[in-house]
Amino acid sequence: MDLSSEEARWSGMIDKTCLEVEIAGIKLKNPVMTASGAFGYGEEFSPFIDLDRLGAMVLKGITLKPKRGNPPPRVIETPSGMLNAIGLQNVGVEVLIKEKLPYLKKFNTPVIINISGDTIEEYVELAQRLGEVSKEMGVAGLEVNISCPNVKKGGMAWGTDAKATYKIMSSIRKTTTLPLIVKLTPNVTDIKTIAQAAEEAGADALSLINTLVGMAVDIDSRKPKLANISGGLSGPAVKPVALWLVWQVFQTVKIPIIGIGGIIKIEDALEFIIAGARAIEIGTANFVNPRVTMEIIEGMEKYLIKNNIKDINELVGSMKI
Amino acid sequence: MNAILNVKVKILSKEEVAPNIFLIKLSAPSVAQEALPGQFIHIKCNVDSYPLLRRPISIHRTDKEKGEIYILFQVVGEGTKLLAQRKVGDNLDILGPLGNGFNIYPESKKIMIIGGGIGVAPLLALCEESIRKGKEVRVLIGALKKELVIGEENFRKLGAKVDVATNGGSYKYKGLVTDLLERIIKEGWLADQIFACGPKPMLRKIVEISLVNHIDCQVSLEERMACGIGACLGCVCKIKTRDKKEDKVKYEYKRVCVDGPVFRGSEVVWDD
Repeated sequence: MDLSSEEARWSGMIDKTCLEVEIAGIKLKNPVMTASGAFGYGEEFSPFIDLDRLGAMVLKGITLKPKRGNPPPRVIETPSGMLNAIGLQNVGVEVLIKEKLPYLKKFNTPVIINISGDTIEEYVELAQRLGEVSKEMGVAGLEVNISCPNVKKGGMAWGTDAKATYKIMSSIRKTTTLPLIVKLTPNVTDIKTIAQAAEEAGADALSLINTLVGMAVDIDSRKPKLANISGGLSGPAVKPVALWLVWQVFQTVKIPIIGIGGIIKIEDALEFIIAGARAIEIGTANFVNPRVTMEIIEGMEKYLIKNNIKDINELVGSMKI
Repeated sequence: MNAILNVKVKILSKEEVAPNIFLIKLSAPSVAQEALPGQFIHIKCNVDSYPLLRRPISIHRTDKEKGEIYILFQVVGEGTKLLAQRKVGDNLDILGPLGNGFNIYPESKKIMIIGGGIGVAPLLALCEESIRKGKEVRVLIGALKKELVIGEENFRKLGAKVDVATNGGSYKYKGLVTDLLERIIKEGWLADQIFACGPKPMLRKIVEISLVNHIDCQVSLEERMACGIGACLGCVCKIKTRDKKEDKVKYEYKRVCVDGPVFRGSEVVWDD
């Protein structure tokens, strides 16, 4: 809180701003979450920010068994964005539980685990396992990744077909009472049908968008710049696409939406909220500015005070058309 | 692990020391205090958000007393081009110091340092530290041609014996720096440790030579990098796993930014 907002408070315009939101039954102290894959397992950012101040942490996508990932080069910068093809490299759920979650328990910030698998059975087993340890290890909810463009099996295949989305989400829903967020891919003909299928299958919230499939070519070697050939585009370049999809999904479903895509500053975050997102996830911007989440939280408070809005929830989907 | 800082630091001087190769001096007391030879800083090259990502640049030299660090880099793309255009007096947004750094063993007496092209960048600080610790240091510099030989005098001033190889023979030894290394070993000068940074084929050959001659070898690698702090898993390289049960070479992907950039030469898997 800087002096100007403090002054605004005391000047009597408003006496208290509320940044609290509820997503999938999880209470967040503010709408600022971290996007999976862009925040490691949380600890990597502790030199720069107070993890206690975040709305929620979504950790690097996890699979049942450890995953080696794709060969390098895995990342390449593109105009106003970057392509990545990490290939879901991760330590596997057991190491996550034993070595990564204990550190996060001391923070009063909900931890959401992003899960991936090759088969429905793997997703179900992951959900069960994380459900078993959720109380003890502080797992607040699951973000189901049916939208990773960089793995051969599973991944995006579930999220590009409404029937497949329904099938996998209803299977996971039957096995866990944990809050379920479904992360959607933009690489579809009509995202609304996928969003509806997820809602009907019992999802508690939707997060969108995952990355857009893209490619870059080295003109000297005539090779693709990524070893995987294709990768997922993220960063400011995708923001207009993400906003449009959030707005469309907002008009289609009743469950809360988490907006993701190219948010690097407070104005970007506010655009998503006005377009219908109740919370936002910050991804690529963390790589550039490790304090970006804190700056956006501070910016939200200032915006509410400046515009005499008591509660951030009033802003959600408030776009005037 | 030492502290990682995100600070704005002032450019004190800038010099084009060779065609497209720049030496920049930064006032960065906190980073200078923490920095170890072989570490790097992650630099926001421009003031606005283009280019989007930071660029990892080796720390060339550290002056703890004056609170200054030097970076030496070659212009290879948009990021480094914009970095080279920044002016004396400008502030640079940096993260650092990052990475593990070189490990000089206390028992080592003779140190061989080998830099290929811009690969000399992280080696001057290493040379300084080795000499400070009382080691006998030899430095081999490899370059395409005479104009691209960097830092020869600086290494010599520190007290190292310096040899240079140029591919075409436009300066000193004609041939590859790895040929020069083999020759020196044949002459009987055997190091306890070899440290190298440069193009991958050079590093691969140096590791081969070190294995044949049973010399401990550490190499500094580079890879396309995004976060620089171990979160995104973008900048990985292939590292052998310790499982010896199977004959097949097993490997895992390790992060250049936090697990490296310095790796033991014998554990790196070199792809063809």
